[in-house]
Amino acid sequence: MTVEERVKNVVAQQLKVNLEDIKNNSDFVKDLGADSMASIELVAAFEAEFDVEMDEDAALKVKTVGEAIKFIQNMLDQ
Amino acid sequence: MNVIIFEDQNFDNLYPLTYLRPIYELKCGHTTLREKIERMIGKASFYYFMRDYLAPVFAKKLGKEKVNQLEVLKSDAVLIINGRLLAIDFKIDLEGPDGIALSNNQLVYARIRKTAIEKIQFENLNEFITAIASILPSKNVMATLIDYPWNLIQNNSKAIVDDFNHIEDIGIHGYLSNQAAIVGDKNLIHIAPGSSIQPFVTLDTSNGPIIIEKDVIIHPYTQIEGPHAMDEQSQAFGGNIRAGCAIGPVCRVRGEIEESIIHGYSNKHHDGFLGHAYVGEWVNLGAFTTNSDLKNDYTSVQLYIKGELVDSQDMKVGSFIGDHTKTSIGTLLTTGAVIGIMSNIVTAGTLIPKFVPSFCWFINNHVTKGFGYRHMLTTAARAMERRKVQLTPEDEAMLNTAFELTKEERGFWIKKGFRS
Repeated sequence: MTVEERVKNVVAQQLKVNLEDIKNNSDFVKDLGADSMASIELVAAFEAEFDVEMDEDAALKVKTVGEAIKFIQNMLDQ
Repeated sequence: MNVIIFEDQNFDNLYPLTYLRPIYELKCGHTTLREKIERMIGKASFYYFMRDYLAPVFAKKLGKEKVNQLEVLKSDAVLIINGRLLAIDFKIDLEGPDGIALSNNQLVYARIRKTAIEKIQFENLNEFITAIASILPSKNVMATLIDYPWNLIQNNSKAIVDDFNHIEDIGIHGYLSNQAAIVGDKNLIHIAPGSSIQPFVTLDTSNGPIIIEKDVIIHPYTQIEGPHAMDEQSQAFGGNIRAGCAIGPVCRVRGEIEESIIHGYSNKHHDGFLGHAYVGEWVNLGAFTTNSDLKNDYTSVQLYIKGELVDSQDMKVGSFIGDHTKTSIGTLLTTGAVIGIMSNIVTAGTLIPKFVPSFCWFINNHVTKGFGYRHMLTTAARAMERRKVQLTPEDEAMLNTAFELTKEERGFWIKKGFRS
């Protein structure tokens, strides 16, 4: 599975949305209904899925699914 | 003779309560373990040994020249006392023969002359203790050492009675409304100056004394049963504060509280039950936060201590909540819950697990890092500012160390939650 697919799977599971409704330009708050609590859980779920440790401030600045994919890909590449 | 109060290697049995204080700064009754030891000894030169990262904070409180000063061990005869000692119904004389007193093979106290000290080599307190243990005669004594957090609760009522018996000016010196009711012996009530016991308050001394310190306000419709102690500037806003509670300074309490210790500067401002619990400093329990202190099958309560379940051998054990932790409205704490320091519990009406690590947000049954450590520090500073207390650089450095100490444990629980 690609990073993009894994990110979208985590988003679908955590935010309880259909996979097909998740686009790269989907905004976590406006389009997918993530509130501040859900955002925290999402970061934790990404960390568990990719076995990485994210800086909370930087991670919580990510607004869209596409930005999350890029953010995580960068972490994996380092 | 220098009197040394030290914490031994068992301080971590009392995590999370001891992450931010030496073990002898814990309360049992109205006073701390240290205050009881000092009261037992009387007038003397006291010195204190503690973990290095705590020293800058407690040097401010106890005196810089009094904390972790190794040369004190060499300068005069020494009476060294284990800070886990519950100095009730127990006497150590300042002067006496050299020797070591043990309880269940644990050091309670030791006394050694300067000439004997000069013959031993040591570079830290542990080496000092090991050295004197090898040369001094030992004897067994019957003493209570606090091994686990629930021991503080088990001895709390007895400790309050002892504290009451040591008050020199027992009496009603504050305002006691003539519409407040006293059940039992009025002579078992101490109300310090500046306190106000308002109408429709009941003070019940049928089962023990009641200590109300300076500038306390007991608002209408509060029932307090002794043994009870409420420290300076705290307020009770109604409810049933049942026997065996010690409320520290600057607390706000309401609801049903039983056999519990609230260390200080903490709020339980709403209804909800708190029983057989120890709540640290700067804690806020949201409305209707309730803890269980009894299992439905009446078996003894097990608690997580250093990552392992330990059987308390006691069927009445509540929660142990670390400093700076907050709970959301309606939080339900399972029997024997241990909640770390600086955590944020946000629940959805279900019981939280038996253990929540420090510096985390527990959301929807998941342990997470929340908004991160910096955000937690900001929240702590804001909460302290409300009570006109500053989060000092020393506090921050101590918290930084505690954050690092708990990192591995936190990481384990975060991963466990999201992988299960």
